[in-house]
Amino acid sequence: MNVLTGWLPQSNTVNLLAGAFLLTALLIVTRRRPLEVVTALRVNAIALALIALTVALATGAWHIGLSAGLSLVIKAGVIPWLLAGRARRMTREVRTRVSIPTGALLCGALVVLAFSQTRELFGQRADILAACLPVSVAVTLIGLFVMVTRTQALMQVVGLVLLENAIFLAAVSLTYGMPLVVEAGVLLDLLAGVTVLGLFVRRLEDALGEADTERLTELRG
Amino acid sequence: MTALWVLAPVLLPALAAGACLLLRHRSAMPRVALAGAVSGAVAAFALAMRAVGGGPFVTAAGWLHADGLSALVSVIGGGVLVATLLHARSYLAVLPALEPGDGGWAPGRWEATMLGLAACVQLSAVSNNLGLLWIALEGATLASAVLVGYYRRTDALEAAWKYLLLCSVGIALALFATVLLHYAAVSRIGEVGGGLEWTTLRDAAAALDPRFVRLAFLFALVGWGAKIGLAPMHAWVPDAYGRAPAPASALLSTAVTAAGVAALLRFATVARTALGPEWPERWLALFGVVSVVVAVPFLVAQSEYKRLLAWSSVKHTGLVVLAAGLGTPLALFGGLLHLLSQSAAKSLGFMLGGHLLRASGSHRLDHCQGVLAADRGLGTLLLVTGIGLTGLPPSATFLSQWLTLAGGFTGPRPVFAAVALIALAAGFLGLVFHWVCMLTGPAREGFTDAMPRSARAPLWAMAVVLVALGVWLPAPVRALLESAVQAVRP
Repeated sequence: MNVLTGWLPQSNTVNLLAGAFLLTALLIVTRRRPLEVVTALRVNAIALALIALTVALATGAWHIGLSAGLSLVIKAGVIPWLLAGRARRMTREVRTRVSIPTGALLCGALVVLAFSQTRELFGQRADILAACLPVSVAVTLIGLFVMVTRTQALMQVVGLVLLENAIFLAAVSLTYGMPLVVEAGVLLDLLAGVTVLGLFVRRLEDALGEADTERLTELRG
Repeated sequence: MTALWVLAPVLLPALAAGACLLLRHRSAMPRVALAGAVSGAVAAFALAMRAVGGGPFVTAAGWLHADGLSALVSVIGGGVLVATLLHARSYLAVLPALEPGDGGWAPGRWEATMLGLAACVQLSAVSNNLGLLWIALEGATLASAVLVGYYRRTDALEAAWKYLLLCSVGIALALFATVLLHYAAVSRIGEVGGGLEWTTLRDAAAALDPRFVRLAFLFALVGWGAKIGLAPMHAWVPDAYGRAPAPASALLSTAVTAAGVAALLRFATVARTALGPEWPERWLALFGVVSVVVAVPFLVAQSEYKRLLAWSSVKHTGLVVLAAGLGTPLALFGGLLHLLSQSAAKSLGFMLGGHLLRASGSHRLDHCQGVLAADRGLGTLLLVTGIGLTGLPPSATFLSQWLTLAGGFTGPRPVFAAVALIALAAGFLGLVFHWVCMLTGPAREGFTDAMPRSARAPLWAMAVVLVALGVWLPAPVRALLESAVQAVRP
């Protein structure tokens, strides 16, 4: 087992999956159709679950495998399914505050920033998955970027879920996951969170015709 | 056996919430809810007495614990829940006539959400595991968002949406803080206590890698800070407290705030040992004083009663966090007393807002004039609220603010205390202006509070607590606060 744990940080499997995780996050920034964005989010979560699964296989820790399975079901299954249901009803394309090419460029800058800063803090430590941590910080920033630049309520939820995926990746890569009870509780909370958010997206649609937050301007001061 | 002591304040409201959802008897629901709240509060007080009298203890294989800080949050949550549920019984009955867009919820859902929120707060108070603490507070956030979006109107929707997004990001950052602290622990001391137990982390803090503790503390400050409405993450506060139904605002601004402050202080305790007191305290003081200052202009130029209360909530929360950063036990004692006394003032203020809305038919401050002449009882309650919010004697907030600032001036960061003092004075002038306008003058036509007299009982109870604690600090309360200080500064 110790041999495998030593092998894991250098493994190309994890690096490849981390690359997929980052690329799907960038896809979310650059796609215009709501349904494509949700699909990218689904692939993003699958990459996350596969990383956790690889860690579980390499370390032989069954509780990581269980939490990988849970996140596959919840993060790659139920949550995108809920979001896709709402995305199908969106007649308009994704609306952004900055143009898509500018957004892509800014996110590229965020990725560079995340990689350089994380390297400085953690260096080349043997006990962590070296490729995952900068990716997780980069995707956290991209998630925040999506939340700030998208005006439609549903796309803001996508940004939030992306941010949460990135924090999960940090948990997996830093410490090979948190205790199982904690991780299961966190996942259930996130699922409940997306359900409540979806409920409010629907109520915004009913009230405003479409769930665009730029129409929410009543409360000031 | 000890686990039962700790779990009773959590389980009793949670069971009542479940019963409210499942029961079909509409008339029985308020009684079931109240029974759950009262028994939960009794359990919370019993737990507090045990934790304060017998010293802190850890139970349930390290998952749960009770110390002075959890006792304080538990007592605030238990007490306010009983008051707000009692008040909500009469308030919800008059609500449909009052607010446009009150579609009326399915029976039992209101009680279940309030009780569920309170159960989450109680669970967060006794969580020794930082992951469990996070789970409890995320649950509280979701329940709060549902309460904020009670009315089916676009302004309530806007408030709920803002609350959900800002608090979700905040709480996600708090999760990142938890992960970082977990890594700092696992990489140095191994999986002892799951690497997330607060008591273990606190004892081993000196061995943790300071760089990660520093990052974790900053993320916790921003994350939990967003949850309690600390500037500059406070944008949701006036909207959410202003648009939620009055009893819900009362519960949010007291119990949930106390739970969030306690979560932040848990991280601060670990950071104090790992990095030395200087660094984390400076950050706490900075965020605290900025919140106090930011609220002042909005307190002076304000046209709505509940938004005024919300901005004063930003100010009070800022003062509590500032107190934790001033660096003396006296200031911290004052700050924790302020957490308690502002809970009495704030819950009184928000519930009173429900009566004023009922009587005047409007949220606006200038529609409530001459309250003393129109209704002596309401006028007196409004006066006590004003005294409590501004921090005038004989209210407990006077005592707590005075202790905080006195502790601050003798500590290492007197400049922060001085800035806070100036801001408090400016905010005081604004509040006094609004209160004089509301209280004095001839009674407005048609100003009648049609709610039953019994609805005022919880308000009077809070008013009595607010004034009594200002005049005389009983030994058990003093012991509770001292033990809470001990928990934050071991």
